[in-house]
Amino acid sequence: MTPTRMLFGILLAAQLAGVGTAFGESNEPVIEPQVDRRQIRIPKINVDDVEIGVYGGILSVQDFGARPASGVRIAYHLTEDFFIEGNYGRSTVSDESFRRPGFAIPLFTQPVVDLTYYFLSAGYNLFPGEVFFGKNWAMTSAVYLVAGVGNVSFNKEDNTAFNFGIGIRVLPWDWLAVRGEMRDLLFQSDVLGKNELKHNFELTLGLSIYF
Amino acid sequence: MWTCIGLLVLALANFSAWAAEAFERVVIADPFLELHTGPGRGYPVTYIAERGESVEILKRHTDWFKLRTARGKEGWAAREQMERTLTAAGVQTTFRDVLIEDYLRRRLEFGFSVGRFESDPILTAHVGYRLQEHFLVELNVSQVPGQFSSTSLIYGSLVSQMYPDQTWSPYLALGVGHFNNKPKATLVSAIETDADLANAGVGVRYYLTRQFVLRVEWKQHVALIDHNRNETFREWSLGIFSFF
Repeated sequence: MTPTRMLFGILLAAQLAGVGTAFGESNEPVIEPQVDRRQIRIPKINVDDVEIGVYGGILSVQDFGARPASGVRIAYHLTEDFFIEGNYGRSTVSDESFRRPGFAIPLFTQPVVDLTYYFLSAGYNLFPGEVFFGKNWAMTSAVYLVAGVGNVSFNKEDNTAFNFGIGIRVLPWDWLAVRGEMRDLLFQSDVLGKNELKHNFELTLGLSIYF
Repeated sequence: MWTCIGLLVLALANFSAWAAEAFERVVIADPFLELHTGPGRGYPVTYIAERGESVEILKRHTDWFKLRTARGKEGWAAREQMERTLTAAGVQTTFRDVLIEDYLRRRLEFGFSVGRFESDPILTAHVGYRLQEHFLVELNVSQVPGQFSSTSLIYGSLVSQMYPDQTWSPYLALGVGHFNNKPKATLVSAIETDADLANAGVGVRYYLTRQFVLRVEWKQHVALIDHNRNETFREWSLGIFSFF
């Protein structure tokens, strides 16, 4: 018996013992309580800790040039300082500069291939504040930092990627956020024959709604 | 993209529906309640509501409540101050934190984990549904972006927790699903592999705080490639998930 099998065996036995006692107990109450059930009303408050949004901008892929990018993001605000977010984005990559006369070594099967990425990141609201627009309108805002892990996929290759960035978020109303963001998406790639760390900068503008 | 915009429009419609609802009312029991301009400790206090004043709760964002006083002043108050308010009927309100009891009562969970799949990194997303106190079903989607190939796994598992009410709760998981391996395009004579997958794992869940739980897991995956070939993979992962 290998140590792993033994561990499985012990845990399974413990599990069965646990379920056994749960089913074996009698549900008959000893004394019938004569107390009326208290009516508890759970307050209905709209909690808006979840943020869903779209963004668009430019993604510059190292060695290939910059092209439009767009994506969706979902964030959950844990506290006034921290949030977690997941995002999924699409862009394209072109090897056109490698197809010019003098180079003539196309890297991809087509001149333009799709690029997709997703990330799970943690964020920190660094400088919460207010932005003033005219005389009568103060909007809450924050400069925030994000960092996380994910995947960048293009030309039939998945690359484990990291991303970090800085952004500013302005809320014209409590339920709407407008953000400008800059991120660096980093991954190792051997697409040009040598495995090296690639820096890919993305500049986006986004709109999101709090739920 | 258009579906996203559609969803946003739907969300807006939803929002206006909420706006039409009546709000909860509470009576301030503290000597005073500070109303900030935004949901955060740094935002300036612009109004002070006094003891005995009745306020409406418009919404909550993290630990901050947006209130409207009888005089129509709006602002944000911290949960610590809200804990000492009274309902309209004079009963103490409960704006307590999410506790471990909630973790056991709620059925749906969602989370991510990162780890090692043999010597490659693995990223996993999972959705779980609690069937009963001891058992839950999970759907896992994993991606392994390796150096020479990328592997994706999709599998359902049955998870059984021995002591679900403990802060540290060990569990066993058994799963079946699908295994797919795509070699990198730069490799010569690369063949894509599709196979059935079975796995078994042991792990521990740790109730962190509020609605967050950590889990550490060890799994052994077996890909049934053909009649006379099985491939075995070991996985270690650390994840965080949230319940709803």
